[in-house]
Amino acid sequence: MILPKFDYKKAEDVASAIALYEGCKGQARYLAGGTDLVPLVKLRLSTPAAIIDLKGIEQLKTISRQGGRLLIGANVTLFELKNHAMVKEYFPALYESLDATSCETLQMRGTIGGNILQNTRCLLYNKSLEWRTARGFCYKMGGETCNVVPDAAACFSNYCSDNALSLISLSAGVKIAGPQGERKIRLEKIFSKDGRDPFKLKPGEILTEIQVPLKRSTGAYEKLRVRNAIDYPLLGVAVSMKDGKGKVCVGGIGPAPLVYDLKDLSGAGLKEVAQNARQEAKPVSNATLSAAYRKKMVNVLTQRAIKRALKEGK
Amino acid sequence: MKTIKVSFRVNDEQVAFQVKPYETLLETLRERLDLIGAKEACGMGACGACTVIVDGIPLRSCLVLTPEVNGASITTVEGLQKDGNLHPLQEAFMEKGAVQCGFCTSGMIMTAKALLDRNEEPTKKEVIQTMSSNICRCTGYKKIVEAVEEAASKRTSAG
Repeated sequence: MILPKFDYKKAEDVASAIALYEGCKGQARYLAGGTDLVPLVKLRLSTPAAIIDLKGIEQLKTISRQGGRLLIGANVTLFELKNHAMVKEYFPALYESLDATSCETLQMRGTIGGNILQNTRCLLYNKSLEWRTARGFCYKMGGETCNVVPDAAACFSNYCSDNALSLISLSAGVKIAGPQGERKIRLEKIFSKDGRDPFKLKPGEILTEIQVPLKRSTGAYEKLRVRNAIDYPLLGVAVSMKDGKGKVCVGGIGPAPLVYDLKDLSGAGLKEVAQNARQEAKPVSNATLSAAYRKKMVNVLTQRAIKRALKEGK
Repeated sequence: MKTIKVSFRVNDEQVAFQVKPYETLLETLRERLDLIGAKEACGMGACGACTVIVDGIPLRSCLVLTPEVNGASITTVEGLQKDGNLHPLQEAFMEKGAVQCGFCTSGMIMTAKALLDRNEEPTKKEVIQTMSSNICRCTGYKKIVEAVEEAASKRTSAG
């Protein structure tokens, strides 16, 4: 598929990237690995006047320890992160979600920052312009309806990052740089819960760093998909536990992940969390498996992930 | 729109072009350099038929803008043979019958080459995990995995 016309600019550092963005009057998109952005541009779902390449920014490519946290540059590729010694040892849920992301070749290109900020997906959204024009535009394309659920008031597109779920279960935070300066925010707070525009980011802002508290945890990531490679999650459940407490994060259904605290590690306690997660999950028929099956699997995979995380801890 | 000057190495040859900013590496390779081994199938990064190796890393060339590879060193399937001899992977794919319609083959071989370059003796599990990056719609996966294993064992026994 041929790309539409746009200009290409390469940034040397974060400040120059933001300056380039401001020079484009809001008509630019940042490019990291491109495994999410380039297909969106090919489908004309994003039509920037310019693309600003962040891959030349050295400061975004490092992993370091500081003050009890692991600082991960946003441009670290998923493959590099997966093979980092500390990830497997300290954050098993993150290791498993990285390993479950797409396939090795795309892990070598895709970055952790880009993976977190990937756009939400829907069977009736990620289509060519011709297909979408024939069907009529939905909320997410700037239209006035949802093509999946008639008369719905909101967009039901799914947030399909595997790694955001495990990072949320690990209480990660992110650093964001923008025209108005730098800010830090807990990862679960960046979601707007609106599928049309899933992130609370202001124009021109760049996710620069992910900060994970450096405490040994046990954990697991369970992913529902049709094939064991390449597929996006149709449901993902990440669990991380430390000091007898845990955090469960459920995603792949709806525009934002849902988080649950796990305080009671008894059989009844984990069943209750799994049951809550199932009740709150609102899948609709916008993915390759039926909504009813995905809802049922929320309970199954949540229990499975918690049990695996507990077993590991022993 | 302004064109961009880009130069990089392809199969040990230095090339330079003025390219459109929205040109993909796959288009440059196929249309400017006549290197038609890399194929466009899905064009969305899902299938891997367009895989080439850029600075040692296998990439979907349909997702890479040509300006992004300025200064890089690229290997395509055409660059694998040496002095008229095919690469052990190419030999193994033929011997094992790992080619059916052949559309995915060059991508499969490039993915496998990147694996063998970083891991000389991969286990069967590792081969399957890496090769799952590429899709073969004839579904001849078993023979493809066998071919990669064969090439790996020949390579190590040859020293």
